[in-house]
Amino acid sequence: MSRVVIVPSTLALLPEYASLDDPVADLRSVVVDAVGWLLEDGPATASTGSPAGQRIADHLLGPGGRAASASERSAGTSPNRLVVANGSATRTEKAPGHLDERAEAFDAAIGRALAAGDPAALRDIDLTLAAELWAMPDAGVLRDLATLVPPVSEVHVDYDDAPFGVQYWVVRWLCG
Amino acid sequence: MTLRLGRHEFADDATLMMAIVNRTPDSFYDKGATWAEDKAFDRVTAVVEQGAAIVDIGGIKAAPGEFIDEAEEKRRVVSFVERVRAAYPGLVISVDTWRAPVGRAVCEAGADVLNDAWGGADPALVDVAAEFGAAIVCTHTGGATPRTRPFRIEYDDVVAAAIADTTAYAERAVAAGVDPRSVVIDPAHDFGKNTFHSLELTRRLGEMVATGWPVLVSLSNKDFVGESLDLPVGERLTGTLAATAISALAGARIYRVHEVVETRQVVDMVNTIAGRRLPQRAIRGLA
Repeated sequence: MSRVVIVPSTLALLPEYASLDDPVADLRSVVVDAVGWLLEDGPATASTGSPAGQRIADHLLGPGGRAASASERSAGTSPNRLVVANGSATRTEKAPGHLDERAEAFDAAIGRALAAGDPAALRDIDLTLAAELWAMPDAGVLRDLATLVPPVSEVHVDYDDAPFGVQYWVVRWLCG
Repeated sequence: MTLRLGRHEFADDATLMMAIVNRTPDSFYDKGATWAEDKAFDRVTAVVEQGAAIVDIGGIKAAPGEFIDEAEEKRRVVSFVERVRAAYPGLVISVDTWRAPVGRAVCEAGADVLNDAWGGADPALVDVAAEFGAAIVCTHTGGATPRTRPFRIEYDDVVAAAIADTTAYAERAVAAGVDPRSVVIDPAHDFGKNTFHSLELTRRLGEMVATGWPVLVSLSNKDFVGESLDLPVGERLTGTLAATAISALAGARIYRVHEVVETRQVVDMVNTIAGRRLPQRAIRGLA
């Protein structure tokens, strides 16, 4: 059995961007709980699409010892995985990429695959459309899960919303 | 330095709004608007809702005018302090007085701070603060007699004079038994100073902050603002806020004000720019 947790790559999760009133308090709470569940089972490796995504992973997985070691990462032997990725950033007129009517269906398709524990379905993500919907490079990270993750036996969708016009998911998969 | 104002303590990085509440019929700004006790109490209620941590209650206007004896000053402030104390146990109550007997009476009634706007004119005031565990504001007036206007006063270096006098006063207060965490210094803009002096104190306020004593500034609608902009009382808010911004950047801790909301916004914005305070809620470009 292994564990996979998917969290969004919003920079608001980083401590250097803290506010007095946390704009992502609900999300952060869910993310922290999900990452806690992931690390209960031992170290985890990170799947990220950008340096910022890697910083978020490093922050969430914590200082040395909690994350998978470099050798584990290079050998691909760590069974648990933190995936830092979100959907489109074009869900509303106030979204970073403004409103794109295609975004809702794009995100819904990914959301269904995540909720179904069906990583193979993520292979169908259209990366060209993803770029137009401001979902790259994260969409590529999600698509790669099709080949990285074993069959999923249990799914928990802890968060599925687009509070700033950016689609966030927090999903836990128990695999194998 | 951690600040202890009577019953209340504040963190090292806290900035505090001290709202002016006049129990006078003739103060320069409000011209008696809170002379009636109920009006003054309404003012306390309003400034608490606006976020003031401190009210500064005064029974005598600073400028020359009708002589107010000790008994009359007590009549104006003591029972009012009792009323505010009962209604707002979490509020810091400061009383603007130079007289030790008045200080004693208001401390017995629940005051937390003695704001000695006339710079130690009554040397026994520190003993009262020490006896009651009250804080004291040590101001610089250049030795001016209470309720007098400056007349051709000059300093070799007004900032050096203000630092020397306020820190000496602070040390005298500590020697008298006042808790060092309960001593605040104030350059006292306009008091014993012309406009050029007050401007220089504003410009070089960082030198007072560097003494390590918490600095209070009382800038609100004062003549140095009015003369800088050639504006009468009532049209000095923007200039006051500009001086407030400079003071906040220098690191002032307490702001004695008429306008709480506007001052709080300026102080918070400046301290956020300076990196001493987090933004209230930042998500732009981060989502």
